[in-house]
Amino acid sequence: MKRYFTDIYESVSSILGGMGITLMHLIKARNDNVTLQYPEEKWPRPERNIGFDHNSYNVIRSRLHVDMDDCIGCLKCERACPVDCIKIVTEKAPVRGEDLKEIKHKGITSNGTRKALVVTRFDIDMSECCYCNLCTYPCPEECIFMTGGPNAKKHPIDYEFSEPDRSDLIYRFAKKGAKEGLAEMNAKQEAEA
Amino acid sequence: MGVVHGQEMVLNIGPQHPATHGVLRLQVKTDGEVISEITPYLGYLHRCFEKHCENVTYEQVIPFTDRCDYLASMTMNFGYVVAVEKLMDIKVNDRVQHIRVIMAELQRIASHLLATGVFGLDLGAFTPFLHMLRDRERIIDLFEMTCGARLLYNYMWVGGLSHDLPKGFVEATLNFLDYFEPKIDEFENLLGHNKIFVERTADIGIMPAEVAINFGVTGPNLRASGVNWDLRKDDPYSIYDKFDFNVPVGQGIKGTVGDSWDRFYVRLQEIRESVKIVRQAIDQLPKDGDVHQSMPKKIRPPKGSIYSRTESPRGDLGYYIESDGSDTPSRLKMRSPAFTALGVLDEIAGGWLMSDVLAILGSLDIVLGEIDR
Ligand code: SF4
Ligand code: SF4
Repeated sequence: MKRYFTDIYESVSSILGGMGITLMHLIKARNDNVTLQYPEEKWPRPERNIGFDHNSYNVIRSRLHVDMDDCIGCLKCERACPVDCIKIVTEKAPVRGEDLKEIKHKGITSNGTRKALVVTRFDIDMSECCYCNLCTYPCPEECIFMTGGPNAKKHPIDYEFSEPDRSDLIYRFAKKGAKEGLAEMNAKQEAEA
Repeated sequence: MGVVHGQEMVLNIGPQHPATHGVLRLQVKTDGEVISEITPYLGYLHRCFEKHCENVTYEQVIPFTDRCDYLASMTMNFGYVVAVEKLMDIKVNDRVQHIRVIMAELQRIASHLLATGVFGLDLGAFTPFLHMLRDRERIIDLFEMTCGARLLYNYMWVGGLSHDLPKGFVEATLNFLDYFEPKIDEFENLLGHNKIFVERTADIGIMPAEVAINFGVTGPNLRASGVNWDLRKDDPYSIYDKFDFNVPVGQGIKGTVGDSWDRFYVRLQEIRESVKIVRQAIDQLPKDGDVHQSMPKKIRPPKGSIYSRTESPRGDLGYYIESDGSDTPSRLKMRSPAFTALGVLDEIAGGWLMSDVLAILGSLDIVLGEIDR
């Protein structure tokens, strides 16, 4: 008999306790709502939650970007990738460290390294990428990086990549027509010689 | 599944089922509502982790350890780097050790928040789940600030960390802890003492200490059975011997020692202890020290093998690494704590009702990514 009534008491009091907490939150809710109204409000919103601007992050994980003018084609990033989603093909440049206007190739990087190679293919398959960031550390020219955050100056953040077709997620960074252009130039040179 | 008698029925739960915490199929033999036998079928999430590790270098293994227990990636990284460091005999400096402990304990809080929240959700309590996810989100924001990623960090590296703490991390963490500590009591009142929740969990799925030990169950599940065993205390790795914290064990407050409620409550108490550890680690955090100081240029451990174990939020996480002196492991085996926890399910859930099985499964806090690897 006693147990019956204590059970009823406990049920009612614990449920009322829980309801009380919910009510408190309802009253306070205006200031600390945590849901983001996604398409209208987007993620790097400085005042969100703990109050951190994404610019003050250490690193960021978003889409990879390669600054082709700086890439020397050393393949270090390709070797570091655990899932092999970076594919690089290089060809020897006719003259080391010289600009090739025809294929918009830059001879000298912003660090002053003279390039010996022309990158004719630089594909990153972002649908295979596991965002581990391992490829960005070994790069001697710091030209492969994730967009936004601390790199916002180099490239604005970009993390929405829905595409109608999977193959659209393969980002091709090499200059368009680099391969054909280079072959043409070599052929011309041979003809001249 | 043996002979099925006249009144018995074989029922499949899963593989796609919200209460199985991943892709797990349970084949249950029931007699009416009473369960007589449970057979878990695994392997739906098998991604060849161990075989894969034989083909990638030591540093490239770390992103794969992240993906095993995706709810506690920091501690998975931690266990792996501790193992490789032991194998290579690397000593890392104090700042790195402290940052690692801060990260691991924040991760433990996040993981236990999810575990207890989802446990409530399995039993139909939706509100506590939202509260817990909201606070877990803040911890994840802290991680995001540090290493850019929210779930799969690749933060701890052999001999160091990928980055030092960002500016303002310490203040943000202290802020979070100040905000969070009163919330733990709120959770306890909201879910733990709720009569409906207590009725569904107390005295249900009792795991006696002998059963737990015989099945090799570790972590909060073992401690809930009243066994005081925590690797952070009993076999300290990293710098856990420097901190002052208690190891909560199950006391059977609402029912019997080792019931589902105890497993829930031990996790809640562990959150409090982790808060304590994080505070101490932040207090003692050395100001200087390069996080890349003891990182080897090339990770080529000497020939030999190592077994090292650490305490992940789910229990005793072991890595066995065999090295042939090259830059890829020749064999890597992971001892998964959730696997043994799932193994005991048949033993403790037999004889309970159908609805209790999901409560017991929820209280074990398994992660299928780690079981199947
Ligand atoms: S982030 Fe990781 S997976 Fe992605 S391309 Fe770089 S190394 Fe490969
Ligand atoms: S590591 Fe840097 S410079 Fe080398 S190939 Fe990759 S992007 Fe180019």
